[in-house]
Amino acid sequence: MIAVERLTKRYGTMVALDRVTFEVPRGEVFGFVGPNGAGKTTTMRILAALLEPTDGRAFVDGVDVDAHPDLVHQRLGYMPDFFGVYDQLTASEYLDFYAACYRLPRARRQTTVGELLELVGLSDRRNQPVDTLSRGLKQRLCLARALVHDPAVLLLDEPASGLDPRARVEMREILRELQRMGKTIVISSHILPELTELCSMIGIIDQGRMRATGPVKEVVARLSSARRVRIHVLGKRDEALQALRAMPEVQHADEVDGELSVAYDGDERAAASVLQRLVTAGVSVSSFTISDGGLEGAFLHATSEDPA
Amino acid sequence: MSLRAWLWNPIVAKEYRSRMRTMRSPVALTAYILAIGGLGWAVFSTMAADASLGGGAGNYGRNLFVVLILFQMILLTFITPALTSTAISGERERQTIDLLFCTRVPPFAILWGKLLASMSFVILLLVVSIPIFSLVFLFGGIEADQLATAFLVTAVSALALGSVGICCSTLVRRTTMATVTAYGASFLLVFATLAWGLIFPTRVDPATLSQTPAPPAIVYAGPLLGLSWIAGQGAPVSWLDAVSGGQFGVRYGGGSDQPIPMAKAALAAPRGLPAPAISTLFARSGIAQPAGPKIPSGAFAGWQYWQATVALEAALALLALALSAAVLPPVRRYPWRRRGAPAGVAVDDAHA
Repeated sequence: MIAVERLTKRYGTMVALDRVTFEVPRGEVFGFVGPNGAGKTTTMRILAALLEPTDGRAFVDGVDVDAHPDLVHQRLGYMPDFFGVYDQLTASEYLDFYAACYRLPRARRQTTVGELLELVGLSDRRNQPVDTLSRGLKQRLCLARALVHDPAVLLLDEPASGLDPRARVEMREILRELQRMGKTIVISSHILPELTELCSMIGIIDQGRMRATGPVKEVVARLSSARRVRIHVLGKRDEALQALRAMPEVQHADEVDGELSVAYDGDERAAASVLQRLVTAGVSVSSFTISDGGLEGAFLHATSEDPA
Repeated sequence: MSLRAWLWNPIVAKEYRSRMRTMRSPVALTAYILAIGGLGWAVFSTMAADASLGGGAGNYGRNLFVVLILFQMILLTFITPALTSTAISGERERQTIDLLFCTRVPPFAILWGKLLASMSFVILLLVVSIPIFSLVFLFGGIEADQLATAFLVTAVSALALGSVGICCSTLVRRTTMATVTAYGASFLLVFATLAWGLIFPTRVDPATLSQTPAPPAIVYAGPLLGLSWIAGQGAPVSWLDAVSGGQFGVRYGGGSDQPIPMAKAALAAPRGLPAPAISTLFARSGIAQPAGPKIPSGAFAGWQYWQATVALEAALALLALALSAAVLPPVRRYPWRRRGAPAGVAVDDAHA
């Protein structure tokens, strides 16, 4: 659905994007993660045909963004990381204006505007001036605006930025609904736990380079440098530590808050081997929890590498 | 995109709605009527009190008309840039321009919509001033064709000012600077063109002339000279001659300081661009074409002054809009800057 091939953007000598490549299949929710200035917004603006790449190609629903921006605009809904609202217009007039800009027939516009206000939970505020809406409500209205022409692809740049926890939860629910509707969604965000819950795929970008991309679990597994396991034992902690430190796959073992924290090399079979040998050594294990550090760990690991 | 869609797009409707919801528009309309009406009343009172100024009712009418039409043009010089200089830069500052670029409204239609909405307000100002101008007919001295021509010149000049304002708004990213630039450009167009004729007049030796030469062509680009000639209708425009010391824009030297009479200029066979077909429009409408003085020489020889003004200002408006349309799109797809995209391939199946 979205394909980006060796996308490069230079401003003079500054390289904003360096041969970024990734693909998002139809119906997937792709989380775009990276620190500020990593190149997320630049990539999104190129995908929205608002910025010309220096090199490389981008395709939305099979359409070359650079060659056919008009066709891309019909297929894509873009929500930038700012509100972009007009004073003097009510919520329904605001949506009606954009629906007219997408050339929806007048008769269909009224229905569409009503449905979208319902979707984002603003039906009771349809006649409220846009500039008097709260930040969270404006954000929801902007999401509705990106949907007026029923695009197959949504580009959402920091949709939860600056929202309070309740507004964030509401936004997440709306995005889940869109996911159920079969939209292909690209979300950039700094809020990693939310992306883990919402996204099926992820791309980690840093200093203009794509560090990792793929299904969330795969990326997390790939980028977790040393897996950790937390072990709770009944008595004999010193003996357990000695046994663990003697194992070749164990890098490091220590006691933390009454539990044994163990760093080891290898996959889940290595973890099973550690547990088996611990039990064989006569240690009573009451709990054994593998911890991979999650998306946060993967993100920190990916963005701490030397870019060269 | 159909012609109707070009002429009437959602931007126009939105601009009308937004503009008319603020108190600014009715206040501006009221202030405009009060300013023109107040000046008209003041001029008439002065003429009525001082018998030496008037003479006959026709003179009253003509003097009143000259003052009002020039004042209206000066007012529009101040109002029009304010209406258009924020059109695009304001969208940029509100961060709504990218959202518009993502829709199916082409960049030129955005410009056109903004211009049309602003110009509609200017037309509204002109329309509400008509009752005040019609008072001139109580005194006579001014014909309907002169009024129509003067309003045509004013409207086209406002269009040029509006287009220049839109152009400044497109080229200059910040609203404040765009407004300052638009006012600068407007003052250059309206006042500096006229001043050019005073500072750099056509220098001639009357002994070698067979006809009166024309003032520098740049003077016609501003509306004030054309409007003055319409009001003067063949008679020398006294206020211009007063400040220029003779025939406006022409300085005589050599052995004589006698200006060549305008009548001689009108009789001389003009050579230059073919006179515009506006006369045909006047003939069809049943209104007699104003018989003002014609430009005696230069590229516009044979044209009336106001015709040259209308042509130059319309050309300027088109130029400003063309420049804006070339600069506005976020990705400028000039033919010489193509990156070698596969021509004619809309959909790549491999990526669908």
